[in-house]
Amino acid sequence: MANVMETLPALLEKNSKIYGNKPAFREKAFGIWQTWSWKQVHEEVDRLSLGFLELGIKEGDHVSIIGRNRPQLYWSILAAQNVGAIPTPMYQDAVAQEMVFPLSHCSAKFAVVEDQEQVDKLIEISDQIPDLKGIAYLDARGLRNYDHKNLHSLKELAALNSKEEVLRTELIKRQKNQNLDTKCVLLYTSGTTGRSKGVVLCNKNVLESGKAGIEFDNINQDFSLICYLPMAWVGDFAFTMGLGLQSGMCLCCPESAETLHEDLREIGPSYFFGPPRFFEALLTSVNLKIDDAGSVKKFLYRYFMGVAKKNGEKILEKKSVGLINRVMYLLGDIFIYGPLKNRMGLSKTKVGYTAGEAIGPEIFRFYRSLGINLKQLYGQTEACVFVTCQPDGEVYSETVGVPVPGVELKVSDSGEVFYRSPGAFLEYFKDIANTNKTKDKTGWVATGDAGFIEEETGHLRIIDRAKDVGKMKQGSLFAPKYVENKLKFYPNILEAVLFGAGKEYCVALINIDLTAVGNWAEKNNISYASYQELAGNSEVYNMISDHIREVNESLAADKSLSGCQIKRFLVLHKELDPDDGEITRTRKVRRNLVSEKYSDLILALYKGAKEVFTETEVTYEDGRKGKISATVKIQDIQETVYQNEVA
Amino acid sequence: MSADFLYTIEVILNGLMAGVLYALVALGFVLIFKASGIFNYAQGVMALFAALTLVGLQEGRVPFAHLINATFGTHVHNFDWTLPAVAAIALTVVVMVLFAICVEKLILKHLVNQEPIILFMATIGLAYFMEGFGDLMWGSDVKKLNVGIPQGGSLWFEDLTIGWAAEGEKFYGMYIDILDVWAAVIALVLVLVLTIFSQYTKSGRALRAVADDHQAALSVGISLRMIWVLVWSISGFVALVAGMMWGAKSGVQFSLSLIALKALPVLMLGGFTSIPGAIVGGLIIGAGEKLFEFFIGPLIGGATENWFAYVLALLFLVFRPQGLFGEKIIERV
Amino acid sequence: MSKASISIGGVTGKVPVMEIKNIVLRFGGVVAIQDISFDIYEGEIRAIIGPNGAGKSSMLNVINGFYHPQEGEVWFRGRKRAAMKPYQIAHQGIARTFQNIALFKGMSALDNIMTGRFTHMKKGVFSQMIWKGSAEREEYENREIVERVIDFLEIQHIRKTPVGALPYGLQKRVELGRALAAEPQLLLLDEPMAGMNVEEKEDMSRYILDVNSEFGTTVALIEHDMGVVMDISDRVVVMDYGKKIGDGSPDEVRNDQAVIDAYLGVSDN
Repeated sequence: MANVMETLPALLEKNSKIYGNKPAFREKAFGIWQTWSWKQVHEEVDRLSLGFLELGIKEGDHVSIIGRNRPQLYWSILAAQNVGAIPTPMYQDAVAQEMVFPLSHCSAKFAVVEDQEQVDKLIEISDQIPDLKGIAYLDARGLRNYDHKNLHSLKELAALNSKEEVLRTELIKRQKNQNLDTKCVLLYTSGTTGRSKGVVLCNKNVLESGKAGIEFDNINQDFSLICYLPMAWVGDFAFTMGLGLQSGMCLCCPESAETLHEDLREIGPSYFFGPPRFFEALLTSVNLKIDDAGSVKKFLYRYFMGVAKKNGEKILEKKSVGLINRVMYLLGDIFIYGPLKNRMGLSKTKVGYTAGEAIGPEIFRFYRSLGINLKQLYGQTEACVFVTCQPDGEVYSETVGVPVPGVELKVSDSGEVFYRSPGAFLEYFKDIANTNKTKDKTGWVATGDAGFIEEETGHLRIIDRAKDVGKMKQGSLFAPKYVENKLKFYPNILEAVLFGAGKEYCVALINIDLTAVGNWAEKNNISYASYQELAGNSEVYNMISDHIREVNESLAADKSLSGCQIKRFLVLHKELDPDDGEITRTRKVRRNLVSEKYSDLILALYKGAKEVFTETEVTYEDGRKGKISATVKIQDIQETVYQNEVA
Repeated sequence: MSADFLYTIEVILNGLMAGVLYALVALGFVLIFKASGIFNYAQGVMALFAALTLVGLQEGRVPFAHLINATFGTHVHNFDWTLPAVAAIALTVVVMVLFAICVEKLILKHLVNQEPIILFMATIGLAYFMEGFGDLMWGSDVKKLNVGIPQGGSLWFEDLTIGWAAEGEKFYGMYIDILDVWAAVIALVLVLVLTIFSQYTKSGRALRAVADDHQAALSVGISLRMIWVLVWSISGFVALVAGMMWGAKSGVQFSLSLIALKALPVLMLGGFTSIPGAIVGGLIIGAGEKLFEFFIGPLIGGATENWFAYVLALLFLVFRPQGLFGEKIIERV
Repeated sequence: MSKASISIGGVTGKVPVMEIKNIVLRFGGVVAIQDISFDIYEGEIRAIIGPNGAGKSSMLNVINGFYHPQEGEVWFRGRKRAAMKPYQIAHQGIARTFQNIALFKGMSALDNIMTGRFTHMKKGVFSQMIWKGSAEREEYENREIVERVIDFLEIQHIRKTPVGALPYGLQKRVELGRALAAEPQLLLLDEPMAGMNVEEKEDMSRYILDVNSEFGTTVALIEHDMGVVMDISDRVVVMDYGKKIGDGSPDEVRNDQAVIDAYLGVSDN
């Protein structure tokens, strides 16, 4: 075996010795939580490694992993590393054509997939990915009558085989070749800006950044984590492989995407990460339930949420609170907070994180006031997640915290944030130019984000993508994402895209949230048959324009950003959809694509038209295309003038 | 504590105990109504019939003695043996199952797919037939039933509660009949067993399935006739328990079939389809009528127990027709 | 989605599971089924199609025992079947779904599918009352099979939901689950795709194909919409006004003049 602490498979072997029969993985299957101990997982990975060797996977080969979070797929990652190959997890909900680029870019030799759906996709694009030599699948369903020449069941691969001794010698030889600098994963970024890039991380990156995360929050073997984030996303990899393997905590996989909330409730993970959208959606569903509840329940909820708002955060941060308030909070915990946290599956959460986008201050405070230690972190694929985290007791909704152990931060003159850390990536795969552009020789990595370090707290604060921060025609600052986030904090607004660089004023495209607005419409007796019809409703327009007016007011108060006020807007006739490429699968807006696709609408916004007719191409779930057309209304907003400026 | 307060508690306790017996009768109604949509008017008479049979078997009475004596001029009344209570109860259960089979074979089988009102009429007929049949079989005299459940006031409870009164107050402790306590315990066990049976067993699930959709139940292999026999047997068993308790309390006599009428307001309160509803409804009616009699009764001349339950049920019909626990009635236009 | 593209192998051994011989069914003076004969092979997907009112549902009800034909014979597994009650036919291994969804609305999806195990549960009323030992084990064993069905149909998330509260498409899936839980030798589906949109239809076709290929279940299904059925069936019987007007592989049937005439005469296709 290689140096005990230098590779992930070595870490697994260590865990099987230290933790033995303690739970390593859980997965709900057939309605029951199945458990695998560290020892069992080690054996499974070992056998799978031999199977991979028998298939002829070579050192340095890329092995693509495609599927929902399943223990066996995580084991495949470890087995691939074990034989010296580089696992490349991919988004399982991508359509076949979207998979061509990453698969051909890394010339994946082999793919481990979850089920027939993924096998079908790979067969569909097999002409475009000639390097792919074989596929292993987890669920055999529907695959019985397929040609099994290059198709293998994962179970059979992991079965004992006759050539074990020869393979074992080969495995040990390969393990000896591995060390801290061995490439351990290739992750394709979701490609917020243009084509996605392949980020190569080595063992050192994953182990060191994971160690920093563990130290920062005192994570130990008794923790549990629910694995539901896309496996292709760096977060999932860092939390399961980096934090999970090093701390020895239990990794739990839900039964299906639809049962996530129920499974979450049953597991009650102690470490939890959710994107802001997750917490938003959860809060919305709580509010809907309360709306339907009886009057006594409603009263109790309102009353005790008031108590929580006043004192909850203080109690969480162990600050001094009067005795009566403490007693009231305790009562609230018995009647409301406790049951609520239990329903949400967050009652045992010791450390909760959110990141990726800004989270609404109200939403953030709601969870914290219930006594859930929800914090923000700032991370990147290139850093193997951890750059900064908020320490317990120093949690603010606008900042992303202080550097984790081992990370250095600096802000360039142009306002761009740079970091240097042991987690910083090796390279962009087959892209030296971009690697050199992002990471300089001394190890400083450009984040591409504009921000600054707050003087009073020492916390990092992020404003926007550095390249998106532009100038208006009259020279004032244009920070679209900052404004969009402010808009998106309104439950009625799902997405907003702001335009205005080089122009005299800003305009916005809005996506309403069908759940929230639909609910509102139902209460106000507004009938609608589709998203499109609701989006065009004039009362909806009035509601949205109220929201925008409020945002304008708050922008006007900030001198440097007052130029970003929105003068005209429209509600888009369709939802921005990953299938159409308008947003990424992690739900980040692809600004350029949107501005091209809806150029007619943007033109109309600036031309001063009252409405505009448009036709848009849409892609259905199965990949077929169609067209929808609509006449979209445009509404004007009165600009708020900053009072002091007038005076 | 003041004596008035303690008296009130005593009244409520006794009311609740009486309510348990109402609930037991109502339970039998609910079971049959849920499974087959039949409102079984004969449920009260079934309780009487079960109690009569129990006494008869226990005391070794000769069935149809009057008939035999009148026809043959003999004077037989008793066999010369008595049965232990447990054996008599077991035999009565067998009789009630046989009765269920007869009901299915002779009545229900011929009335498949008939209007509910027809089935209701059939159960009225069944009630009168059984009343007469029971009379003919066991005689119409009031019978004492003793199955070994202790009776009379609990001295222990009286001693305990006498200490609760404030000093100098006139209070002699609360009176609670041990039989009532037993009835409550037995009812509780019965409900638990029924719940487990209907939720977690094959037959229980089949029973609920039949209640929901006959055609679908047939398609998964459930025989409707088997289910009817099953549900009438269970109701017969519940009737036996109710009859046994009432019989032990106030003797087995024909007025016992009238308690069925008290089950009606209970059902209106609790809903016709809810087992917990039958229990809670029974308790509310029991405690309510005793309290009303205690506080309001003296002001309006007493005897309110005769009508209070019906007035309460009427109020419920006006404001909440589906009862406390019944399925919500939504008329779709 | 076409069955040919998955290159199905070794399905039809041409052993008839069921033979329908000269069935005549009359309601009063109205003749619903007029002298129809056909057979269903072991392991095949057999479709009965025809315009509305062609007598397809009556045919299914004859197979299932809801209707008793005045003339003709039904042979099941090589034996002539006596007139039986529907529940007895269920015990013989024939399960079905209904056109207008007949679920137990007050029960959860799980309990609904559990009822599908009825014919496989042997323990009587009294051993269940005590609910110990073998009766308890039987309950667990059946639950395990039911969980496999739930997994197969991907309805884990609605396991505990009362089916009355479910949307139409999911109710259809639960109903299919209840029939599957019976591990039937012959599965009858009454318009499994009625009232569904294109995507739901494709999902349902996928499940039917998978049931057939994974478990080798013989499927007989009724549809009035020719589209999807032609893709997934091995053989098709075409009915019109109570008569059989065509029988054969989808291609044969599609090119049959009598069938074309019958379908062109009907406006809803």
